[in-house]
Amino acid sequence: MFEAIRGHLAASAPHDAVRAAHHAAAAHGEDVSAREEKRATVVFEGTAVERFKQALEAVAGKCFVVRDEAAASEVLRRIAEQRDSQRVAVTDSKLAGRVLKLAALRSEVLENAAVESLFECDLGVTGARWGVAETGTLVIESDAERNRLASLVPAAHVALVEARNVRHTLGEVLQAINERGEGGLSRAITFITGPSRTSDIELTLAIGVHGPAELYVVVIEGEGNG
Amino acid sequence: MHQQTSETFDQNAREALADVQLRGALRNLATTFGGRRKEAIATVEDWEGLRDRARAAKDETLAHLDKYLEQFADNAERAGAQIHWGRDGAEACRIVLELIRARGASKVVKSKSMATEEIHLNHALEAEGLAPVETDLGEWIIQLAHETPSHIVVPAIHKSKRQIAELFAEKVGIEPTDDVAVLTGAARRILRRQFAEAEVGISGVNFGVAETGTILILENEGNARLTTSLPRTHIAVMGIEKVIPRFTDLDVFLKLLPRSGTGQRLTAYQSLITGTKRRPEDEGPEELHIVLMDNGRSRMLSHPVTRQSLACIRCGACLNACPVYQQVGGHAYGSVYPGPIGAVITPQLSGLKPAAQLPYASSLCGACREVCPVKIDIPELLLHLRAEVTEGTAAGTAAQHGPVKQRPLERFAFGLYARAWSSPTLYLLGARVARLLQGVVVRKGRIGKVGGLLAKLAPPLAAWTEWRDAPPLAPRTFREQWRDGQYREGN
Ligand code: SF4
Repeated sequence: MFEAIRGHLAASAPHDAVRAAHHAAAAHGEDVSAREEKRATVVFEGTAVERFKQALEAVAGKCFVVRDEAAASEVLRRIAEQRDSQRVAVTDSKLAGRVLKLAALRSEVLENAAVESLFECDLGVTGARWGVAETGTLVIESDAERNRLASLVPAAHVALVEARNVRHTLGEVLQAINERGEGGLSRAITFITGPSRTSDIELTLAIGVHGPAELYVVVIEGEGNG
Repeated sequence: MHQQTSETFDQNAREALADVQLRGALRNLATTFGGRRKEAIATVEDWEGLRDRARAAKDETLAHLDKYLEQFADNAERAGAQIHWGRDGAEACRIVLELIRARGASKVVKSKSMATEEIHLNHALEAEGLAPVETDLGEWIIQLAHETPSHIVVPAIHKSKRQIAELFAEKVGIEPTDDVAVLTGAARRILRRQFAEAEVGISGVNFGVAETGTILILENEGNARLTTSLPRTHIAVMGIEKVIPRFTDLDVFLKLLPRSGTGQRLTAYQSLITGTKRRPEDEGPEELHIVLMDNGRSRMLSHPVTRQSLACIRCGACLNACPVYQQVGGHAYGSVYPGPIGAVITPQLSGLKPAAQLPYASSLCGACREVCPVKIDIPELLLHLRAEVTEGTAAGTAAQHGPVKQRPLERFAFGLYARAWSSPTLYLLGARVARLLQGVVVRKGRIGKVGGLLAKLAPPLAAWTEWRDAPPLAPRTFREQWRDGQYREGN
């Protein structure tokens, strides 16, 4: 296959030369300032967390910004009670563990749910390594937490993320992931933006196809140590 | 309905034009996705700059595809993936089949993948007694209906809610309903059982990062996440053009692809997978197999014009924007890839002969080029391919399928045209004769279908006037009017 690729690339060389010359001639005198004018200015005011909340809510996610882990546990308890959760799946994120303990839910909590029992859970609780403000995206990495299917299989997902890990842009987060990846990247990195959705039937939006229909993100502002 | 192939595009298109429901669905597609795309691209600062950067990254990769592919394969292997090479569709199918067989597996789930559609993987597996289950809602619908996708992003766009409800009632016993949420819920319930039992998950790949050996899959439903994390074995089928050089290049492509395709800032999920699990107690598949597939792609490298076809990120924007696709829909193209991008890659993948009509399935209006996030000059490609059709020079395809059928009459007509326009005397003479002749066919100031007579004189012209009226030539030419002093300064 490499032979085919190299052969065809070599065959293209004379055509490439012609094209390059042609383009050089055409580019001469192109008006760059016109292009500059077409640039949209996209201005964001406010903090990364505010921006995150706005973007997430625009895609039907719910966002709570709280002071500390105790307040986060309040939010979690309210969600579990409202949904009348019977079984909760949780990842091994330290932060999620602490908040869940504080919440002292009445539901059954599965810390290392096997696949079959996961399908019977109605709520999943996870941490998140990063938040992306411009898109309202959560990033979950396999090196940071296990049993991440808790974020996918149950009908509702509560994610806990520390405010200092919410960055403004996708580019910043990709950079951060890449820098940390000296011992190799996490095997699985999942980006989550809002609940599961489809437009496959007449382009009508339906929420919650294969993944969760409800996504709650709790951003914790205080200095956590998870 | 006759068998719809690329060879019968003209007839397919005619049938599609008569399908009122289909045209309603296509109008909905154009306005919905078109509108959302416009809103979404307004949320980035320098859309043009992003497009340029994406194209530059693709051009760089394609110019050194051997190097980047090798780097990708090495890094993916280092992370624990196993790499396979499929020179053509048959070989890629065979590899997948053997992987499944060697594991004694029978339960296979699939997430949406145009590459596997391209090689008809499901057919190949079904022929061997396997029953792979499509889990993307749109793909599942068309699998139940035994149809093919009509759009590369929303494969069941041609079907109405009502048809889908009837299909579900017949195939999976759901009470007919017009509530999309109920239909979606039924799909969730039924497909969950398949996921729970699946032994092998097959996916496509949107991007492969050479620097890290990572594959990235975008989706909205969550079925690709389930497909790539629940079964013991994950097989990813990836066209060789999906490689990009650096991890941080993802930034540009993740900004462009969802905005162009569905008008989202980002799709609900991106899975970035690098190799297999590191510790036995980790979750996730035991094995990751990546099938790198050529299937006619490397041939496109041999000319800069055709090479740009490989920059395509399959966003579907050119389909949504195309006035031809908007009228005839995807099935008329008779190929896995429809629309403008289909019209240029189908003849290159499957040979020019069976798809010789497709480069003509365009008005060359350039709407596709306007919206393409990687700035593929599709009209240029269409003209390039038309030249290959008329000259019969398509590299590689003549050997495969025999010479392409010429269009002798068209050739003759354009020959005449070229002669006339290159000589003032011939041009004037021609115009005079044409004006004399048109007196016979002009009605109500147009040259219309009255062309009945014209058609009898020159039958192929009937095809031209069947759908459009041509304005007649002016009774007196501009030159004549000028000469007679009709135009004076201040007049
Ligand atoms: S050709 Fe461009 S617009 Fe069309 S699907 Fe490919 S990337 Fe999208």
